[in-house]
Amino acid sequence: MSDYPKNEFPTDGTGENNLENLVDPLGRNPDTVVEKIDTEEFIVNMGPQHPSTHGVCRLLLKMDGEVIVDVVPYVGYLHRSMEKIAENRTYLQYIPLTDRIDYVSAMFCNHVFCMTVEKLAQIHIPERAEYIRVIMDELNRIASHLIWLATFALDLGAITPFLYCFREREKVLDLLEMVSGQRMTFNYMRFGGVSKDLPPEFIPKTKEFVEYFKPRVDEYEYILTNNPIFLGRTKGVGILDQKTAIDYSVTGPNLRATGLKWDLRKEEPYSVYDRFEFDIPTGANSDTWDRYMVRIQEMRQANRIVEQALESLPEGEIKTKTPTVFRPPKGEVYARIESTRGEMGFYIVSDGSTKPYRLKMRTASFSNLAVLPEMSRGWKIADIVAIFASLDVIMPDVDR
Amino acid sequence: MTKEKIVNTFQNKFPEKIEEIPFVGVDVAFEVESDLILEVCRFAKETPELGFDLLACLSCVDYIDHMELVYNLFSFTHKHKIAIKVSLPRDGEIDSITPVWNAANWHEREIAELFGMTFRNHPDPRPILLPEDWDEGYPMRKDWEGKDFVRLPKK
Repeated sequence: MSDYPKNEFPTDGTGENNLENLVDPLGRNPDTVVEKIDTEEFIVNMGPQHPSTHGVCRLLLKMDGEVIVDVVPYVGYLHRSMEKIAENRTYLQYIPLTDRIDYVSAMFCNHVFCMTVEKLAQIHIPERAEYIRVIMDELNRIASHLIWLATFALDLGAITPFLYCFREREKVLDLLEMVSGQRMTFNYMRFGGVSKDLPPEFIPKTKEFVEYFKPRVDEYEYILTNNPIFLGRTKGVGILDQKTAIDYSVTGPNLRATGLKWDLRKEEPYSVYDRFEFDIPTGANSDTWDRYMVRIQEMRQANRIVEQALESLPEGEIKTKTPTVFRPPKGEVYARIESTRGEMGFYIVSDGSTKPYRLKMRTASFSNLAVLPEMSRGWKIADIVAIFASLDVIMPDVDR
Repeated sequence: MTKEKIVNTFQNKFPEKIEEIPFVGVDVAFEVESDLILEVCRFAKETPELGFDLLACLSCVDYIDHMELVYNLFSFTHKHKIAIKVSLPRDGEIDSITPVWNAANWHEREIAELFGMTFRNHPDPRPILLPEDWDEGYPMRKDWEGKDFVRLPKK
């Protein structure tokens, strides 16, 4: 679609007929070929139950023929008012709930919540716990990107990558289950460290996985990266320029695909990320293909970090003791990490009691979804599936 | 830019309107009057030395006698971050900052719906998260009690 010369489009995406520019392949006068007719804009409802909305999101598409004039996202179908629940739970009771914010990368939600509270209460975290956190985060990043790649390819009609990705994802989930006891909602981190030490089988198994996973990424690339159908559906589609992205607070791989080399793990190192060597992949054209490529590369980098962390994993304590009745000092705090989808932050107001006075989460998907109308105007209805999927939005992360 | 420089830059532009407050996790935090918020935000974004191009977070806190809005800003070019706070009465009105950052659009819609704030000149003041037929007030307020909200007996 991107290689299509612009003036051969019957419309320019503004909803007005642009028949003056229509070039007839046989060189006839357009006025005699096509009768000038007034087309009527119409509304197409997509979702809330739609396979490619990855959850329950309703998109109202204002169409002119096959071209999208405007998109109105309707969210809130998964709103559980987690911020209100937080005000009635103790800090420790709230950790399992953070798993449900973004259930495909629950470790990050655990991590950022614990980190925010630790920052406020100035709790020291033992080095081994920090390393374990990094390993868990990066394994979870691989699992999350795999599920993204699987569903993204499936939305575009490629079924094979879906099966391949789930095969590897299951191996990652086995590793995480070995440590935390859960496949997806881990409830693993605690204030001052992690809840359990790594089991002895974990390290050899993970090393095995790291070696196993390296060629697997090439395998996905072999199927998709230069596939002409895949290129036709993604290259040049859904361009999100850097200025708009920043204006809408888009972060994470979507922002890096616009060419901005920005990653909190490098720029504002938290935990022990400053000890590892890894690259920040960026895109050049900010299109759907770039967003795909950035995530593919990120899987490789995450694998690299896991490998390094396993090699330099120190011995020692896994948790600083915190009081059973935990009362952080009075104050306000905002902390953020680089989650799979971008900047994830918690803003907590503590009044010195056992429960947070106010807790607000800044989730990446919320801002990433808000930019969808800007990206999809002027594209065809089939492209919105690709564009939406490439944003990697998780609906419970939006609605909270 | 250092903490003092950021505060000085704001203080020079808005003399006697900037009051520093404690806040963990940002370089500097200060409180401004609610009428000034649009001006302060525009100044924070458009001054090259400040260059706050990212609205990281926008939250609202209910303190029962008043409301507080917290704007977490961040600059990609200078890598510094601040928090701006405004306090206003419970049913108060405040200028929407959507003209400065489009990211504020959804955040403000959420706050308007859950806390009952009014944002002046908001381009799209529809509700966002709650069901369409919601008629039980503003659930994030501290004194809100839902229809099926049961308090556990105190032991």
